[in-house]
Amino acid sequence: MVYNNKLRKEIAWMIRNGKEGHIPSAYSIVDMVAYLYKEVLNFDPKNSKWDGRDYFILSKGHGCAALYAVLKKYGVINQKDIEEKTSEYSILGGHPDRCKVPGVEASTGSLGHGIGMALGIALGLKIMSKSNKVICLIGDGESNEGTIWESALVAANHKLGNLCVIVDDNGSADLVLPVSNPQEKWKAFGWNAISINGHDMNEFKAALESIEFKHNSSPNVIIATTKKGKGVDFMEKDFNYWHGKIPTGEELQNIYDALDKE
Amino acid sequence: MSLRDSFVNALQAVGLEDKSLVVLVGDISHSRFQSFAKGCPRRYYNVGICENTILSMASGLSALGFNPVVHSIAPFLIERSFEQIKLDFGYQKLGVSIITVGSAFDYADLGCTHHCYDDFALIKAIPGSQMIYPVSYVEFDKLFKQTYNNGNLTVFRISHHGHNFEFDPEDIELGKGVLVKEGKDLTIIATGSHLKTAMDSIDELEKLGISPEIIYIHTIKPFDAELVNKSLKKTKKCLVIEEHSMYGGVFDDVLRVTKDLKNIKYTSINIGDIFIREYGTYEQHCKRLGFSVEGIIKKVIEELNGRNKFT
Repeated sequence: MVYNNKLRKEIAWMIRNGKEGHIPSAYSIVDMVAYLYKEVLNFDPKNSKWDGRDYFILSKGHGCAALYAVLKKYGVINQKDIEEKTSEYSILGGHPDRCKVPGVEASTGSLGHGIGMALGIALGLKIMSKSNKVICLIGDGESNEGTIWESALVAANHKLGNLCVIVDDNGSADLVLPVSNPQEKWKAFGWNAISINGHDMNEFKAALESIEFKHNSSPNVIIATTKKGKGVDFMEKDFNYWHGKIPTGEELQNIYDALDKE
Repeated sequence: MSLRDSFVNALQAVGLEDKSLVVLVGDISHSRFQSFAKGCPRRYYNVGICENTILSMASGLSALGFNPVVHSIAPFLIERSFEQIKLDFGYQKLGVSIITVGSAFDYADLGCTHHCYDDFALIKAIPGSQMIYPVSYVEFDKLFKQTYNNGNLTVFRISHHGHNFEFDPEDIELGKGVLVKEGKDLTIIATGSHLKTAMDSIDELEKLGISPEIIYIHTIKPFDAELVNKSLKKTKKCLVIEEHSMYGGVFDDVLRVTKDLKNIKYTSINIGDIFIREYGTYEQHCKRLGFSVEGIIKKVIEELNGRNKFT
């Protein structure tokens, strides 16, 4: 059975139920998002605005079903929120809204915005000499946006070492505008760059433990090679077809079965 | 000293008192901010030529409780980075003060790439926004203090040109126009440096038997509908003068807020629906485009039937 089987089933269910979402993009990040909330991020499920919290910014907002599932797991949002996703007055939409959803730091969806906001949070924490971590998850497709590389320059220039960007390198960009050798690119921009398998939590753990999140040092990036649709064999093989597809009832069962057998 | 040179002093006065004020600039006015940088350590950043990222960074600072100021040339912030302004601040309900220089065609000789005369329309269209067009230090100082920490997206369009009019700070209030001169035959609604143009036109208008009322608008949004309605009810004739495209400027607001008044004649001096492809000086552009006493008289006679009605 695949890791985070339950979260993956919940993601598929909420996307079918709400008739909107991106299953492959959520499956490529869900392992890392779940690990961050379990082992890395300081947060208070009862007080999402607690000023001692670490900041997680999901810049690739279309993967938000993974974040929703994890926030529900920790009681930041509830089952009813999940069931109402994308209904008219629900708090959960196809992209996350910081004004509605507890635990969501940035209203993302238009790619290339979240990382700049993460830089601002990291800079603000540096100004205040506070030790909260800032972790921002971007996509490899999102890395086509110029703001990613503006941000890469700026964060290195201001030595925002309390910032860690995670690149969900799930092969999206390869279909259109590949971002080749991302580790070398980020290194060239002055970042501490680490490459891992984004579905291997031992590698993720080691990468995160190697980062000091210290002010006045190089910013950090983890290039995580992942698979769109990870855990569902037929989705991994044809992830472009499944990118924004809403599964039928039968397909949902097929997804569950595939998750259970792997 | 022009506001272009002096607005930093107002920021510094606030910054020395309020540690939440952080300034990010896009490699402009760097020398002007040196005193601020010294007086407010760790709260001034010349980030670089990357306006989109600067704005997104400011939203992160705002989310942490800072009151960020972003400063650069108008088109590079308002037009290039419109989506950052719309989403990172408007949609996310985060506050910022965006202070632009290079109002309309201030950079006359630099050409269209450095012009920006659609900013009223663009910024007004963002829900919750405030658009302010101060020309004197007193206006900027008062309006900045009234807005910088109110949690809203506020854009200040700073002109390189003054109107030679000294306001009492008590007369400057967000969202309130200023009745500069009372009259009975014509309301001139003046913006920016053209308060001076309007004031300079008084003698010529009076020679035509026209007593102009002059209203100065420094806050484009929220718009002072009450003052404008009151004046137009009396004068029944209105001329708006604004360095803005014919679309979405103050003239449109005047028409919208006075739509229930009867028998009003309107006209406007604006930039029209053109790219200003000429070079030369600001003054030459003003003369050619009708931002002049002669331009006002021409509009009044030709479009408001001034000579027939008033004499």
